[in-house]
Amino acid sequence: MQRTKQIAIILTDTLQCIGLQSMLTDYFESVEVAVFPSFAVFMAEGNEQFDYYFTDSATFVLNTGFFLPRKSKTVLLIQEIADNDSIHSLSIHSSPETIIKQLRIIFTSESSNPLPADTGKELSIREKDVLHLIVKGSTNKEIADKLNISLNTVLTHRKNITTKLGIKTVSGLTYYALMNGFLSADDIDI
Amino acid sequence: MILLHANMPLSEVVEHHTSLIPVINRFGIRLGLGDKTVETICKENELDTGFFIAVINTFLNEDYFPEKKLQTFHTSQIIDYLTKTNVYYQRFQLANIERHLGSFISMSAPGNQSLIAIGKFFNSFRDELTARIQNDTENWFPYCKSLDQKLKEQEATETAMVVKSVSPMEMDDPIESLLADLKRLMIKHLSGEYEQNLCYAVIFALSSLEKDIRQHNRIRYRILVPMVTAIEERLNR
Repeated sequence: MQRTKQIAIILTDTLQCIGLQSMLTDYFESVEVAVFPSFAVFMAEGNEQFDYYFTDSATFVLNTGFFLPRKSKTVLLIQEIADNDSIHSLSIHSSPETIIKQLRIIFTSESSNPLPADTGKELSIREKDVLHLIVKGSTNKEIADKLNISLNTVLTHRKNITTKLGIKTVSGLTYYALMNGFLSADDIDI
Repeated sequence: MILLHANMPLSEVVEHHTSLIPVINRFGIRLGLGDKTVETICKENELDTGFFIAVINTFLNEDYFPEKKLQTFHTSQIIDYLTKTNVYYQRFQLANIERHLGSFISMSAPGNQSLIAIGKFFNSFRDELTARIQNDTENWFPYCKSLDQKLKEQEATETAMVVKSVSPMEMDDPIESLLADLKRLMIKHLSGEYEQNLCYAVIFALSSLEKDIRQHNRIRYRILVPMVTAIEERLNR
């Protein structure tokens, strides 16, 4: 599961705004886009909690005080293909395929310290122990007592189990355990 | 994504979005739509065009949820619609999934524990949903209607009621969570030999129920619940 990327588009050109916004939402998962028609409006809304800022060169140059410290998060919309590597850029005359490719590169380069995505990995032995107790109907407190671990650790294990398996409900976990032979039908009441 | 308007031929939209067929059926509209506009069809079926359009549009475009507009409709209209969706789940969608699941399990390798577990999981989901529907029919909906009736008796004048909107934060609905888990168990964790075609039929049926319940829940939690809370507050004043 990816964390949602918060994206601010600060462009005076309405059509560019709409085009970029629809590309971002149509081709990328988990993005949230906020659109600002000018830098003044953007500042007035007073939100700096964005992962990326898309803007044009003019806005960038006039507001270097804001953008320079956030250079790695800023993407410039430019006329020509840039040979300047120090800042991310998108050439507005490129084909849609090229723009999508460039966006993908920008988004992946950022996540060089990726999310603790253990998704899809096997459960650890401890997590299997916890799962076993969950599906037998033990409360968190009982699990903590039985395994001699703290309540917080139980909660962390539960969270990891849900993230790894993608299954939220206790019923779902129960049938997962059954399907994978962690549990026999005699162990539980179903 | 397009939105439905009163002067559009309904058949055009349904042609592109066939998943709307059960939704229009629920309103009593049958196929053989011809070139009639939405408005004409609604008149013929004695439906409130505005309400019909609002509901269909929430299906067409999941980002579209005209909260304020929906709250202007009458409580009984909302309850009638939710009742119809419940009937549809019980009579058709659950039955449909059960039928597919039955043949999926019996046509696949006998003794595949993973499929048997899926079958049992579905049964427990069905029981949960059935219990919720029963509670709606016997308790909650009659309660909402009675409140509405009381309000009418108390106040002959129709002043606008202030309905507070609920933040569209993620509401963890147990029914939706169970359904999501059931689907994910099949997609991510199925093992052993099984009949692929029937498996897809089951997942397809689950997905269409999932989508329908998502729309039902939006109306339930974001429209009906705040409306009823507003009536309760009004009556307690």
